[in-house]
Amino acid sequence: MESNFLPSDYFPIVLQLLAAIGFVGLTMLATHLVGPKRKTKDKLETFECGIEQQGDARAPISIKYFLVAILFVLFDVEVIFMYPWAVNFREMGMQGLMEMFVFIGLLLAGFVYIIKKGALDWE
Amino acid sequence: MTGIIIISLIAIVILFLGLYKLDKAIVPLAVAALLAAITSYALAWNTNIYYFNNMLFVDNFAILFSILTIATTILILLLSPGYFEKISSNVAEYVALILFSLVGVLCMVSYNNFSMLFIGIEIMSISMYIMAGIRKKDLASNEAALKYFLMGSFATGFLLFGIALVYGFTGSFNLETISTLVMESGGQAAALFVAGILFMIVGMSFKVSAAPFHFWAPDVYDGAPSLVTSYMSSVVKTASFAAFIRMFIVAFAGVIHIFTPTLWALAAITIIVGNVIALYQDTFKRMLAYSSISHAGYMLIAILALGPDSGNAIFYYAVAYSIASVSAFAILIKVKALKNSESFDAFNGLAKNNPKSALALTISMCSLAGIPLTAGFFGKFFIFTIAINQGFYWLVGLAILNAVVAFWYYFRVIIAMYMKSPSSDEKIEYGFSYKLVLWIAAIATLLFGLLPGILSGLL
Amino acid sequence: METIVQNIQTVPLNNYIILSSVLFVIGVLGVMIRRNAIIVFMSIELMLNAVNLLLAAFSAFRGDPAGQIFVFFIMAVAAAEVAVGLAIIVMIFRNTRSIDINFLNRLKG
Repeated sequence: MESNFLPSDYFPIVLQLLAAIGFVGLTMLATHLVGPKRKTKDKLETFECGIEQQGDARAPISIKYFLVAILFVLFDVEVIFMYPWAVNFREMGMQGLMEMFVFIGLLLAGFVYIIKKGALDWE
Repeated sequence: MTGIIIISLIAIVILFLGLYKLDKAIVPLAVAALLAAITSYALAWNTNIYYFNNMLFVDNFAILFSILTIATTILILLLSPGYFEKISSNVAEYVALILFSLVGVLCMVSYNNFSMLFIGIEIMSISMYIMAGIRKKDLASNEAALKYFLMGSFATGFLLFGIALVYGFTGSFNLETISTLVMESGGQAAALFVAGILFMIVGMSFKVSAAPFHFWAPDVYDGAPSLVTSYMSSVVKTASFAAFIRMFIVAFAGVIHIFTPTLWALAAITIIVGNVIALYQDTFKRMLAYSSISHAGYMLIAILALGPDSGNAIFYYAVAYSIASVSAFAILIKVKALKNSESFDAFNGLAKNNPKSALALTISMCSLAGIPLTAGFFGKFFIFTIAINQGFYWLVGLAILNAVVAFWYYFRVIIAMYMKSPSSDEKIEYGFSYKLVLWIAAIATLLFGLLPGILSGLL
Repeated sequence: METIVQNIQTVPLNNYIILSSVLFVIGVLGVMIRRNAIIVFMSIELMLNAVNLLLAAFSAFRGDPAGQIFVFFIMAVAAAEVAVGLAIIVMIFRNTRSIDINFLNRLKG
């Protein structure tokens, strides 16, 4: 496994990195030098799209969000098993389809259980 | 294999039974499903069938361990009426989680591919992480759940890294393919491969709570509800050992000589640490936790002295240990409910008020200690025999010495029951299924202690 | 499809092994050193992802898809672990108003 790449081949990446850092640095410097400085109390506050800010961002949020988020993660990730199946859909034929039905059926049973248990009710 | 399907489906059905408030039907249905699963495994005896593209191989080893773990689960479920109800109303979920965990166990004891090992371990562990923390308001239970979770997934990380390295060297997850490659290499192994197996040993040592990777076990066993602890210390431990030894019997038998010093040290440290710390415990439950660590050490000897009889020796040991530990935890649960204490003093004078349960606990303690005429004696006997045949004299000497030391802490509770006077005249009330479990455990322990031939020739 | 595998193979296999070992060790150290349960948890996920990278690299170099399928299983199981783990951490946070690991020293002996 001989490497076909020389260190010089990475030059474009270095160039882009320099450009990115340079742009950020230059803009910050320019606004710092050019912009007028008038410090008032309102300007030093956190900017929240013009609305007056309300408390700390780290305020605890309702546990309902947590539950829905976790359930989303669970069902979301199960989709990865469909990729290999979808790629080999023709080769696997009827048997593959049946197995996928079993898989989805089990997921569906879990979903029905969640709904019946009331995990998705908001009130 | 049919067993796995039956148990998975019934577990889902039980979840839905819980939704429709049919709590009375849950335990009977679960026990019936488990009995059906045992039957299906027993019918598969000597057939040696591969399932799922060689992912699972149900040979006699797998069948024996499957039946043992399912039977132990039945005993534990028979103890559960009245226990889970006190914790919360989600009884159906608890039973379903135990069944799901059992499905993982069944995958672990019959795997023929490392992906099945990983999936089995995770199905088993994730269910147990939840079960350890079912007492939501109890800080000890919370701590047990978090510790079990963090250490369990940490161990899984090691196991996976090992599997990845072994895959990198052999290009396969299949145990038999790996075994062929190992045999072809003639006992020589590349550094990558050795490192991979070492990582897997570390991961499995965490799972079976072998020292120096044991530190989570006492806290988890102590903090989890007693019935869950009894499941963890019997079924989970048996399954982990079955998976551990299957890995060596099928895949790595050709290179085990490289790991002899490692396994030797693991076994010696585990036996010593488990026994010595158990001497200093004040509560019965924590003593059982440390004693379970020392039992892990004895079972490691069977893996170290790998041979045709190893599987059988570990199976016999696991039978003796599972039965004895279920019956010990059963009585602990009742004593705790009566006296609200898990210390040795809570057992004072138990023989006066409840002679039968004192006798059952005595039998189980004798079996754990390895007194002749109980199953535990032959468990230790078989393991020491194969170790001596392979020339591990020092290790066996050390193990026997420690087994003698262990008498002290096992007999502490027997002395408390028979010699000391009770603090009150209250008697423990047992339900029918509870009595049944205690009787089965006591009779099985004595039967396997008197007639070891029933089980020892099976494998 | 072939080109992706070829691209992966342009970097020597040793580099992948070293990179994933380093990631794995960072994860292990994170578990051992950090005191915040969430960060410990993230370190464990880092360990799992190091394994995923290693498996994918081996799989590409050997031209064997089994390794990549294993990665799928690790991801799915990790998601289930996340669900259970976060639920346990939330349960503890409700009881103690903290997610410090030092909470884990109540049981002693």
